[in-house]
Amino acid sequence: MIDFSEKPIKSALFLLMLALIIIYLLFPFYWAVNSSLKTEAQLFMTPATMVPRDPVTMEFSPNLANYIHIFQSGEFIRGLRNSAIVGVTSTFLALMIGSFAAFALGKLRFRGKKPSLYIILAMTMFPQVTILAGLYAIITRLPLGTVPGMIFSYLIFTLPFTTWVLTSFFKDLPIEIMQSAQVDGATPMQTFYHILLPLTAPALVTCGLLAFIQCWNEYVFALTFTSIDPGARTVPVAIALFTGEAAMQEPMGEILAAAVVVTVPVVLLVLIFQRRIVAGLTAGAVKG
Amino acid sequence: MNLKQRERRLAFKLMAPAFIVLLVVALYPLGHVFYTSMTDRVFAGREAPEFIGLENYRKLLGVSIEELPPVIDEETGEQKIDEETGEPVYERPIRVLPREPDLHRELTQFSLFGNRYVIGAITPAFLGAVWNTLYFTVVSVFLETVLGLIIALVVNSSFKGRGVMRATMLVPWAVITVVSARMWEWMFHSSRMGLFNTVLDYLNVIDEPIAFLTISELQIPSLIAVDVWKTTPFMALLILAGLQMIPRELYEAARVDGAGKIRQFFTITLPLIKPSLAVALVFRTLDALRVFDVFHVMLARSRYSMASMNYYELVGNRNMGLSSAIGVIIFIIIFAFAVVYMKMLGVEKE
Repeated sequence: MIDFSEKPIKSALFLLMLALIIIYLLFPFYWAVNSSLKTEAQLFMTPATMVPRDPVTMEFSPNLANYIHIFQSGEFIRGLRNSAIVGVTSTFLALMIGSFAAFALGKLRFRGKKPSLYIILAMTMFPQVTILAGLYAIITRLPLGTVPGMIFSYLIFTLPFTTWVLTSFFKDLPIEIMQSAQVDGATPMQTFYHILLPLTAPALVTCGLLAFIQCWNEYVFALTFTSIDPGARTVPVAIALFTGEAAMQEPMGEILAAAVVVTVPVVLLVLIFQRRIVAGLTAGAVKG
Repeated sequence: MNLKQRERRLAFKLMAPAFIVLLVVALYPLGHVFYTSMTDRVFAGREAPEFIGLENYRKLLGVSIEELPPVIDEETGEQKIDEETGEPVYERPIRVLPREPDLHRELTQFSLFGNRYVIGAITPAFLGAVWNTLYFTVVSVFLETVLGLIIALVVNSSFKGRGVMRATMLVPWAVITVVSARMWEWMFHSSRMGLFNTVLDYLNVIDEPIAFLTISELQIPSLIAVDVWKTTPFMALLILAGLQMIPRELYEAARVDGAGKIRQFFTITLPLIKPSLAVALVFRTLDALRVFDVFHVMLARSRYSMASMNYYELVGNRNMGLSSAIGVIIFIIIFAFAVVYMKMLGVEKE
């Protein structure tokens, strides 16, 4: 533990460094919150103010109008709903299919395991944008609808990720658990369902959360696939293409309000599951 | 059937759904893209696409280098000098670049051994996009690594409130990319409504507000600032994981032997975090090479990354063949990096 009383100059420098890092990491988000609480007139004030202030009296006056507007506009609510449906479904499918494969790759013995692992690892690095044209052609041709199309195509990144992380988790479970279950007469599938799966519950939660964040974040597929179906737009697309009612000027206040609304739940979830997320991130080395 | 065979059978059955899904969502579209890249297919076009071989690649990558002859002043017999700039005048590039079968447009000019040359390209926008992407990747990954290392070293020393610090680090990572692009776009606003112009004006550094996202020299650095902010914490977390695996005793032994802090960093810390640093580095590189969100939100069509050009060719110009060829080129570039990554990470660690 650093003793702050012993070397005052050194610890002052250290604290300054910490403060700088914290400001750097948090200030841009603070600025979004600050701007989202300003009315159009307040946004137009120059120079920009550090907190929402009344243009005339310069008193502190935050305003929730932007938040009220975005929740009244169907565009944003629809985006939230689409994002939630796509994210939850795709994550669920990825966890289900991924945990089967991970069980085989982590605990069963068979030939061809190594190449299978290589394929999964390679898939976690697959550049999704490469197949944009191909997937677009397939999705527009199939009578699937855009939302199921997105759910399905998001498996391209959620499935390899969940499989890879869960495999390393299964691998770490002691083999004795399986052996004693086998001695008791359980089939491998029974062992999987009744013993291993409950043990992996924490890993499933973390993995699911990370996969969900990836879906919540996804932009290029959603933008492309919804270009002919605006009703299926997810939140990132809605925020990127937000126009507001009077399309003369970009409604920056509303855009930033929407930005805050979609960020806060994710930040809260991430903070709650902090420790596990760091562990999961390090295992999967994945960027959201 | 013995136990071993049963286990093998079960394994294949369990893996089948995952591999079938990956076949359908990744491998089939990949094959589709490879094939389409060799056709002149147009999205929702009526005519059947024709096979045109490597024509799309030739269009994207076709370059030519021509010498620019000096313009001779008829009176003096010497090279003309521009009266305003004082620079020697050369022939206009459009006159020397090839026109057949495809028009080459100027990409850039350079001088070598007293001669002036022009580099022309059939699609300067694509080579520009490749350059933009590489520039973005190299600079942002470098900055993220250095900053990430600094933050990780600071957070790794034990102090009160370390938990809070680690939580703080996750915030930028949790902000979705499109949102962070929008947030920074607003901070970069070209008037004093924007944060940066307000601050620069307050510090009396500038007379006029700067249009960060319009001035071409500042466009990519602005995007790099967004990416560095969002991704440095992620780098720091990965490096931190490596730092925490270093046994404390090593530092104590080094101290006993009289090695200073800096010496300790270079002889203990750096070599021991090299594996996690390498993984973080290559992972970020792969990710930065396919950058799309920040380019699309903040620069739209004014400047492309490889991925955003792919998108605009597909959705804007409906040019499926060309877009597929761009996809394949991205794939090849990233594949080369991924091979390096696989070699470094290794699958079997049992």
